[in-house]
Amino acid sequence: MTRAVVVPSALLLLPEYAGRVDPAPELRSACLAAVGWLIEDAPRRVLALVPPADPANVARGVSTPLGRRVADELLRRSGFAGDVVEDGPVDVHTAVLVVADGSARRGEHAPGYLDDRAVAFDTSVEEALMLADSSALESLDIRLGAELLAQGVPALQRLGALDLPVDQVDLDYAGDPFGVQYWVVRWHCAS
Amino acid sequence: MTLRLGRHAFDDDAVLVMAIVNRTPDSFYDRGATWSEDRALERVGQVVDEGADIVDIGGVKAGYGPDVDATEEIRRVAGFVARVRADHPDLVISVDTWRSEVARAVCAEGADLLNDAWGGHDPELVRVAAEADAAVVCTHTGGLGPRTDPHRVEYADVVRDVITATTGLADRAVAAGVDPASVVIDPAHDFGKNTLHSLEVTRRLGEVVATGWPVLVSLSNKDFVGETLDLPTGERLNGTLAATAVCALAGARIYRVHQVRETRQVVDMVWSIAGRRPPATARRGLA
Repeated sequence: MTRAVVVPSALLLLPEYAGRVDPAPELRSACLAAVGWLIEDAPRRVLALVPPADPANVARGVSTPLGRRVADELLRRSGFAGDVVEDGPVDVHTAVLVVADGSARRGEHAPGYLDDRAVAFDTSVEEALMLADSSALESLDIRLGAELLAQGVPALQRLGALDLPVDQVDLDYAGDPFGVQYWVVRWHCAS
Repeated sequence: MTLRLGRHAFDDDAVLVMAIVNRTPDSFYDRGATWSEDRALERVGQVVDEGADIVDIGGVKAGYGPDVDATEEIRRVAGFVARVRADHPDLVISVDTWRSEVARAVCAEGADLLNDAWGGHDPELVRVAAEADAAVVCTHTGGLGPRTDPHRVEYADVVRDVITATTGLADRAVAAGVDPASVVIDPAHDFGKNTLHSLEVTRRLGEVVATGWPVLVSLSNKDFVGETLDLPTGERLNGTLAATAVCALAGARIYRVHQVRETRQVVDMVWSIAGRRPPATARRGLA
């Protein structure tokens, strides 16, 4: 049975940016629990769906996409020893890890300041995730997403394109503690 | 090289304190305390008494907030520069702006230094500095536009990026006609940087000083201090002064600050420890 998980691509999930106190312990534990569940049945490979690297960061010498590093870190901490791929077919031996989040413009203290469209956009994304509405995810507005600093949109579109046969959805975390919408979602798929 | 800031020249070993004077209703630290022109002028008198060498006058909050267009920015700062110039002829007047039209207006009123805190966003600004024979601060922002916050910004080597960007801007200023003795670089803590980046820039500031350009640091009460010590804006003085001491030991020349007296003491003390400044008095065991 294929499983899929969505986690955010927040830098604070990476150990190199850790402070003495975890700024988001609930988020981190939800991510680790969901990824632990993802690999519970020992899939041979994990398909990591991640947004492309930020071109500005690439220009500054950081070429590995942030989402890939978050995926690798969560899988490492969960003890996964199989292959992690960014392309390829999804079969019964494959688990899907999507590293994606919503708008970073959800308030006056958000990284991109307040954009009044952000909440409605994120609500529509959350509905699509909860309903496992593949066509809605695949047709997310990439331009609006970019304007709202919703860096996860390309990865969510790829999740939609897989058109997985989902028969149960669990929302383990939803929140915007720093003005960026995060979700931790688990999709149970029919075999 | 002698540092020349408009009509003022300073020796190689001079270390300067630049006091922040906001002509804004909403800046993060003072929250409009000097929004009225008279209060701002009082603040200038106070910081001069406390030992400031430079005042840095800003008309637009650095962070997100209501739009302030060039006309409004000029209204806030240009006439005020003229008043400060008249009252304090020996004071270096800096204006914190990224806009060339504002730069032109304040230079006409006697500004000596243009603090281009958004890193060359308006390439015309250095031409204005050249025409007015004003000095300019070249700032690292990591490519961020004015009044934006960093979001998931990363660097393979943040100090290398600081050096490449600021020396590139300095070269551009000189090519535009700014006197090389009138160019200062600023690694810009918190601008385009997370707290770990700003700590690394502080730790490795000597590499920035080694470029040979005079270095300005703007550390005062910033988020990287607050996050490091988990303290709100009003309780960051000790952390600011610790960072100031580290930058002073590395050789930073200009300190942009809210608290002048405290900064002056820390910088003078470190400058003396570093052997760059004799003690004010030395009697102990010397009789």
